[in-house]
Order: sequence, then C-alpha cells, then structure tokens
Amino acid sequence: MVSQILAGYGEIWTFTTLHSPPQGFASPLHIALVTLPGGVNLICHGAETRQLKIGGRVAIEEVDGIYYFSYLGPADRARLFWRRAGARGSKVTSIMKSVVKRLLSERGIDEEPPTR
Amino acid sequence: MSDVFIAGAGITRFGKRDESLQDLMAEAARKALADAEIERPEAIVVATMNPEEFVGEGNFASQIATYIGCARVPALRVETATSSGAAAIYSGFTALASGIYRSVLVVGGEKMTHLPTPRVSELISRSIDPVERAYGATMPALAALVTRSFMAERGVTLGEISLVAVKNHAHGARIPYAHFQESVSLEQVMASRIIADPLRIFHCCPISDGSAALVLTSERTPVRIAGIGHGADYLAIRYRETLSSFRATQVAAQAAFRMAGFGPQRVELAELHDAFAPFELISLEDLGLVTPGMAGRALQSGELTLGGRLPVNLSGGLKARGHPLSATGIAQVVELTWQLRGMAEGRQVDARVGLAQSIGGLATNNWVTLVERV
Repeated sequence: MVSQILAGYGEIWTFTTLHSPPQGFASPLHIALVTLPGGVNLICHGAETRQLKIGGRVAIEEVDGIYYFSYLGPADRARLFWRRAGARGSKVTSIMKSVVKRLLSERGIDEEPPTR
Repeated sequence: MSDVFIAGAGITRFGKRDESLQDLMAEAARKALADAEIERPEAIVVATMNPEEFVGEGNFASQIATYIGCARVPALRVETATSSGAAAIYSGFTALASGIYRSVLVVGGEKMTHLPTPRVSELISRSIDPVERAYGATMPALAALVTRSFMAERGVTLGEISLVAVKNHAHGARIPYAHFQESVSLEQVMASRIIADPLRIFHCCPISDGSAALVLTSERTPVRIAGIGHGADYLAIRYRETLSSFRATQVAAQAAFRMAGFGPQRVELAELHDAFAPFELISLEDLGLVTPGMAGRALQSGELTLGGRLPVNLSGGLKARGHPLSATGIAQVVELTWQLRGMAEGRQVDARVGLAQSIGGLATNNWVTLVERV
C-alpha cells in the first residue's frame, strides 16, 4: 500500500443527517461523501449539514483515523488558499477562482433540500 | 439451455407473524407445491439472509426441507443480502436450464419483527462496507446519500419521490397478503418523521415477516422465465462513479434482456425494489423502462398506476406488501405469475411480459427476472 498526502479540502458529493444512528453514535449524525482534488472520495463526519450544498467546498481533517468535514464560509476559503504555498500572486488568483466558482455554483442546480 | 417454466406459486401473509420462520416458509412452500400439483420436487433452494442471527437457527436448507416433509430432497441455501430470494430463483433456474433437475422448489423468507428495531437495523447494516459502517452509516443513511445525489442530478423533487409511496400504498390496499392495506396521502408522507434527511419514515419499507415460494419446472406451463440477469457493484458506495443510478441493476437488466431476446419496450408490468421510495424511480431509469430524467414525470402522469401504460408494484411493492428480506425477490415473481395467469383478483391487467428487479445490499448484488406468458 502506498501512502499519499491528501489535500485538506474537497467538494461535497452528497450528504445526510441521520436521526436514528446505530448504537455508539450521537443523534443527529451528519455524514457526507467528499471528493478530493484528484478524484478520491471520502466518507466523513461533520458537526452540521445546514449550510452544505452539493458541489460546495469543505475543509477535511483526519483525527484518529476518522475524516471530518467542516463548512467553509468565504473568509474560511480565503484563509485556506492564503495558507497554500506559492507566490503571493497565485494565492490571490486561487482566492478569486474560489469566489467566482462559489458565485457560479450558487446560481446552478445546487438546491436546498425541501425537507427543512 | 432448456426452457424454464413456473408451475406453482405460493405466499404467506406478510407483516407481524407469530409463527416460526420454518413454519412460515413451509406454508409458502406447500402452497406452491399444491399449486404445481407436485408432491416432491427434485431439489430445493432456500433463501434466508440471516437466520443465524434473526431466529438463532442454522443448517437452514435442511431445516426447511424437513419442515415441508422433504427431508431427503437435496436442499441448498443461497444468500445475496436483501436480494437472496431472486438469487434463489437464479439458482433454481440454472439447475433446470442445465438439465440437472426437472423440478425445483424455490422458497425464501425472513422473520424479524420479534426483535427490537435497532437490532434489526444493525443486522441489516452488516451488508454495508465495513469502513462506511464504522462511520455509523446504516441502510437508510446510504439510501439518503443516494437520494440527495439523484434529486440534484435528475431534478426530481421530494414530492415526486413521496408519490411513489402514495401509489404503492394505494396498490397495496388491494392485496390481501400485504403488510399494509391502507392508503396514505401525500401530506402524510411528507409530514412523517425524518429518518435520514431527506428520507422520511414513509419513504422507507417496513420490517416484515413472511415467505414466498415458486415451483420451477422444465415441463411446459403457461408462464416461462424468459430471461434472468445478475449485476454487481462495489460494496463501498464511495468508490462508485455515480450515485444517481445503480450499475448492478443496469448490468442485470442487460443480461436478462439479452437472454430473453427482447428489450424493455415489451415489458408491460414491473415489480421493483422500492426499499426506499426513490429507488423505484432510479430503477425505472436503470432498467430502460423510462428515459433518464423522466421517471418523476411518468409517475405524475399516472402511467405507473393500475390502469396506466406500465403499472409498477401492483403488489404494493416493498413499501406496502412489506419486505421480509429473502421472501421479497420471490414474492415479486409470485405476483407477476398470478398476473400473467389472469389470477390477480381486483388488480388484474392484460399483460404478456412482466419484469422483477431485486436489490441486494446497497445495490451490490442485483437481479432482473423477465417472465412471459407463452
């Protein structure tokens, strides 16, 4: 098996909040499938799914072998790219791309689940 | 390959039953044998998903053979999670098609209602990928992940998904052996308790006891198994290319239609695996019975209701008939057999070709069976 360093962020493929989780898990249980850059998909836990959208960007963190997603607001996203290595210009470009992508995806088919 | 025919069909009432699993399966088996006018089949195929845990019994093929008074008839057990019943039909079919036997009894059943729901849920969850299970994923959780992806990609609404449950309950109200025989309204479905967002409890099939059986023969009868196909996919849903369709159904359908020598346009009624209401819409697309993206519209137009172009789940489906896991794949074909023989009182349609689709696990092991009036 080859170990790989994975990016710390990804895109929401799909998600759910489970209201009757199995024994050993607190209810409600927030689960998402997240696609990392390069196409790897992870199953992750999160603190909430309220602001999530399919195609939206989330931060990913691994603690004790469990992956967690967390929602990235505009400021979080800017910080995420600012931390990236590279020339200052390319960081700003990344932030701009992220902002543009977000604006476009908000006008797309990303829909709020009708159950809320 | 020899032709394979259906000579007998039998079913127990589905729902909460006090009888033992062996008694339920023996009841369905005896009804199918009596219907076929066969006293002793040459072989028996038994389908149960997990009798070791559900009822604490093992060596189950021999137990069932003994219970039906055929202790010396060779019996084997097959298991492919929630599609085990369809797998048993396949096993019986191959034995007859190859000429090994001339008559095979196929019987499937499950008994679960005596256990607390969390225990049943845990036992069913064992058919999920261990990593995904370690994150607390249950069948409804995975189904919810699939549902949200399907809704986003196809533009299907929760209202349309809810209509599947309304339709299948309306059909189930005509079925004397169904677990639920009451209609439900769209409002009731939409307002029911959330299980795994966006799925509500009325989008999910119940936990049921029950059994169904068929007698298959190489001797000609009015109903022939025209084609049968098996398809598979990754256990882990996160490894799949898409969650808005099930490859295992698509592959099974291709194989079944290839064997039958005709396409989906000849199918006039279908029994689909609506363990979760959206699965009926996904399956309609996977089987080529509707154009992708049009399943919601077909449902809204009444095409899939009794009296429509392609009635789906006239038996009430898993939603209303109930879902005693390994009984389900066989119960679907029992209903199709009665329809093709003209014995479906109160719900009879004029059809020549019927299709049954069974989903095992979270669509890891699926089957499509085509039956034809000859």
